Amino acid sequence: MFLRNNTPSDRVVNLLINSLLVLILLAMLMPIAFMVTASFMPANEIFTMPYRWIPKTFIFSNYFHAVAGNDESFIFIRNLINSLIVALSTAALSVVVSGLAGYGLSKFRFKGRNFIFLMLMGRMMIPFEAIMIPMYITAVRLGLQNTYPGLIMPFILNTFGLFQMRQYLMTFPDDILDAGRIDGLSEMGIFWKLVFKNSTPAIATAAILSFRGQWDNLLWPLLIAQKERMKTIPTYIIKFTEEKSSDEGAMMAVAVLASLPIIILFLTLSKYFLHGSTMYTASKE
Amino acid sequence: MKYIGIEKKKARWGYMFVAPAVLLFFMFSLYPMLNAFYNTFFNIKLLSLRAPKFVGLKNYIFVLNSPSFWNSMKATALFTLGAFIPLTIFSLIFGLIVTSRMRNQKAIQLLMYTPAVLSSVVAALIWMIIFDPRGIGNSIVNNILQTHGIDHRWLTDPVMLRVSTVTIYVWKYIGYFTIIFVTGIAKVPESTLEAATIAGASTMQTIRLIVLPLLKPTTLMVSIVTMLNCLKSFSTQYLFTQRGAPLEPLNVVTLNIYNTAMRDLNISRACVMSFLLFLVMMILTLSRMSSSERNVTEY
Repeated sequence: MFLRNNTPSDRVVNLLINSLLVLILLAMLMPIAFMVTASFMPANEIFTMPYRWIPKTFIFSNYFHAVAGNDESFIFIRNLINSLIVALSTAALSVVVSGLAGYGLSKFRFKGRNFIFLMLMGRMMIPFEAIMIPMYITAVRLGLQNTYPGLIMPFILNTFGLFQMRQYLMTFPDDILDAGRIDGLSEMGIFWKLVFKNSTPAIATAAILSFRGQWDNLLWPLLIAQKERMKTIPTYIIKFTEEKSSDEGAMMAVAVLASLPIIILFLTLSKYFLHGSTMYTASKE
Repeated sequence: MKYIGIEKKKARWGYMFVAPAVLLFFMFSLYPMLNAFYNTFFNIKLLSLRAPKFVGLKNYIFVLNSPSFWNSMKATALFTLGAFIPLTIFSLIFGLIVTSRMRNQKAIQLLMYTPAVLSSVVAALIWMIIFDPRGIGNSIVNNILQTHGIDHRWLTDPVMLRVSTVTIYVWKYIGYFTIIFVTGIAKVPESTLEAATIAGASTMQTIRLIVLPLLKPTTLMVSIVTMLNCLKSFSTQYLFTQRGAPLEPLNVVTLNIYNTAMRDLNISRACVMSFLLFLVMMILTLSRMSSSERNVTEY
């Protein structure tokens, strides 16, 4: 933006910045390239220096080892499905809750609206880490240990997603809503048919925020899902690395498999991933 | 049938729409928070059948006098300072570099963001192998420093462990915060930059006198968000200690809370630490809110 390219010295500066940028990108992508290449190597090759960035022979047994586990129970598949179920349903539910609340807070006038908004935003100040222990005890009392509702429910309310939805719906034209009312749609109908279906960008951003949060979540599943068959991918990884018989190649294969879904999602919906970070600069709105 | 005015009707629907979020807030934020606070005054043990006893401030006195708690505070403070300073500075610089590029800007942004997409456990796992004594980490560092065959003890030395965890954190999140700065810089009005160019300002002057002052709110926001996130870091430290790294340098507050509750089964003391963590974070968030109102430069 603010660099010109007119004089020879400008060009030298630009060339220097370009090479610096390439170095930065290489350094940042190095660990990912390492993960992928190492997942095709036997352990002793991973630790042969200088590191061969292209494996001598591509071996796939690491992947078998990763999926089958050290005890060949194939619990990984179940855990992967758990992760998908938890992340997808949290994302879906949180989008609906955020959409409803964002709509209510932006398009309806009622007593205490500002207070409710501030209260919900104030939730950012209550870190999950500070309330996880009482939450865990309550969940145990309610018998939610090792259940999907137990894994999902605490994360349905997503403050950032709600904020995104509200900001988006503030600019939603009122005329459309009134047209819906005149045409005899119920308030719920207006929300579903007019508002929700026309909020794709905000919904996608909020859904991705929730999905990533759950895909990455380690602490809560560690507490609440201690049974093997209810574990999610992060807790599977912890268990797998703890076991003495796991070798490094297989660990990298687990890492690749755990990253594939989110990387695919990122490559297809990158716009909404990047969009999630814009709210930090929206301080003046 | 009683007639209800349209305003009143709309207000009712407003409450209806907000109700699920408010209910969830009460159930999964407010109640546990109050419960945590309440628990700090009792003697509650996990798996114990005895009725909890009221102990007043005993738990607070115990925690505030325990070396383990202060060690955790130290570990968390060192980690937070070590991670948030380079994160803020470098993501600002990277943001300026990225926006100064004419071509391939989207592709550069995507590549930079990729580490942030991986889950933190995966990030910790990759780096654990990189930092292995026989691993590629030692090999690269030795190549740069020309010190062959030296093991830098990334995963065993107390100081190096802090360096390693900070490295992982900075690596994972730098792209994320770079993007925030990129969006922040994009909001600097084009006309202001053009005016500066016409007035004959050099690139460095434009950055120093126009872009940086306008980025103040973004910078402040980023530094506080990174700080809050650093205070909550858990995954890397947990994975490393599970693999046998010494606990002391890695025992951040969240890890200490987890271990106190789940290993020592002492719920009340875990709640005291949770409450203190909450206080620190609340002060930081409030300071963010008040300072983001002031300190705004406009052109």
